[in-house]
Amino acid sequence: MPEVESIACQECGQLHRYHAIAPGKTANCSRCGAVLYRNRPGMLDSVLALTLAGLTLFVLTNVFPLLGLRAQGAEQELHLLGASLAFWDQGYPVVAGLIVLNIIVFPVFELLTLLMVVLTIRYRWKPSMAIFLFRWMREFKPWGMLEVFMLGVLVAVVKLGDLATLIVGAAFWSFAGLILTMTAATALLDPFSVWRALEKNND
Amino acid sequence: MIKHKALLQCRVCGCLSHAPTQLKRFEVMHCPRCGARVKLAQQSTSVEVTWALLIAAAILYIPANLLPIMSVYMLGAGQPDTIITGVYHLLEAGQWPLALIVFVASIVVPLLKLFTLSFLLISIQRRSRWRQYDRMRLYRITEYVGRWSMVDVFVIAILTGLVQFGNLARVDANLGSLSFAAVVVLTMFAARTLDEHLIWDIAQQEEAQA
Ligand SMILES: [Zn+2]
Repeated sequence: MPEVESIACQECGQLHRYHAIAPGKTANCSRCGAVLYRNRPGMLDSVLALTLAGLTLFVLTNVFPLLGLRAQGAEQELHLLGASLAFWDQGYPVVAGLIVLNIIVFPVFELLTLLMVVLTIRYRWKPSMAIFLFRWMREFKPWGMLEVFMLGVLVAVVKLGDLATLIVGAAFWSFAGLILTMTAATALLDPFSVWRALEKNND
Repeated sequence: MIKHKALLQCRVCGCLSHAPTQLKRFEVMHCPRCGARVKLAQQSTSVEVTWALLIAAAILYIPANLLPIMSVYMLGAGQPDTIITGVYHLLEAGQWPLALIVFVASIVVPLLKLFTLSFLLISIQRRSRWRQYDRMRLYRITEYVGRWSMVDVFVIAILTGLVQFGNLARVDANLGSLSFAAVVVLTMFAARTLDEHLIWDIAQQEEAQA
C-alpha cells in the first residue's frame, strides 16, 4: 500500500489524493464534479435494515397475486413469476428468460449481495466472497429493471381498465415498497467506502 | 501531479493499479482488488465492438417497428398491433400521458440511443476535443435512459399473462416483441462496451505529447 492513496474519478478518470472528510460530507471530482466518496455515519446499519426489509417484501411480492382480472364471471390472477414466464407459453423462451433475469434473479442477487457485503464488513469476515459478489452486483446493476417493470404494470392497468374489472393484488403494494427500499439502499451505499472496507478486511 | 501514464483504473471498482511493462497481445490483466478484467488502452476494442452492436441494433430496429408485437383477440376476432398502432390505440382511448410514455420509451429512446452512441463513437474516432464534459453527460444520460425501452416488453408480458379467458379474450405475443427485446439488449450492451473514458483520454494523450 502506498503512503499517499491515489484514487481516480470513476466518471472521467481524473486523479485525486484521498483524504479523510468530515461525517456527512461528500468529496467531488475537481474536473467533472462527480461524487468520489462520501462519509456517511451509520451507512452500513441503514443498508442492512433496508436489505432485510427488501428481502421480506420480495417474498411477499412473489407469494401474492400482482393483478387480478374479472370479466363475465371468469376470473384470472397473475403472479410475478407468471408475468415473467408469459412469453414462455407463447413460444419465446429467450424473452421469457430475459424477463425472469430482469425482475427476479438480478434483484434477489443484489439484495443477497448487499446482505453479504454488510455482514462481511461488520463482522470482519474473510472478504473474498463479498468482493466477488459485490463486483458482479456492480456489473449486473443496469440489468435489474424493477422500476421499469412497475411502469409496465401501470400501463397494463390503464389499458385493461375499460376492458374488465381489475383487482390490484397485495403483491402490487409490496412490489412498490420493494422498489422504494432498493432505490434507497442504492442511494445510501457509497461504493468507495465499501471497497475500502472490504480491502481492509484482507489485512 | 501524480504520474498518470502507467496507472490503470478498474472500471468496476475504481481501483488503480500499475500497468505491466510488457503484456502480450492476448494476455489479460485482472484488477488486483475485485478481479474484473482491466484493459490496456492499446488493446481496447471498445470502439469496434460498440459499432458492431450498434449496427446489429439498427438493423433489428426495422422489424421491431414493422412487425406486430402483440395481438388482442376479443370473442375470437382481433387484430395484431405494432408499437405504433399500440400507441395510437392508447391515444384513441384518451390516455395521452401513457401514449406519450410508451411512444418516448419504445420509439424515441432507442432511436436517440442509436444516434447519440454513433455520434460519440465518431467524435472519439476523430479525436475530437469538443465539449468533453457535455459529451460525457450525454453518455451517462443515454446509458441510464436505455433500460426504460424495456417497458413495452413488460406490458406485453403482463397482458399475455393476465388476459386468458378462452374464446372470450386473449392476448398473444408476436415476433415483433422478440426483435424489440433484442434491440433493447443490444443497445444496452453497446452503451456498456463504449469506454467513455476515451472522450477524455484523447485530450490527455495530446497534452502529454505537447
Ligand atoms: Zn471526474
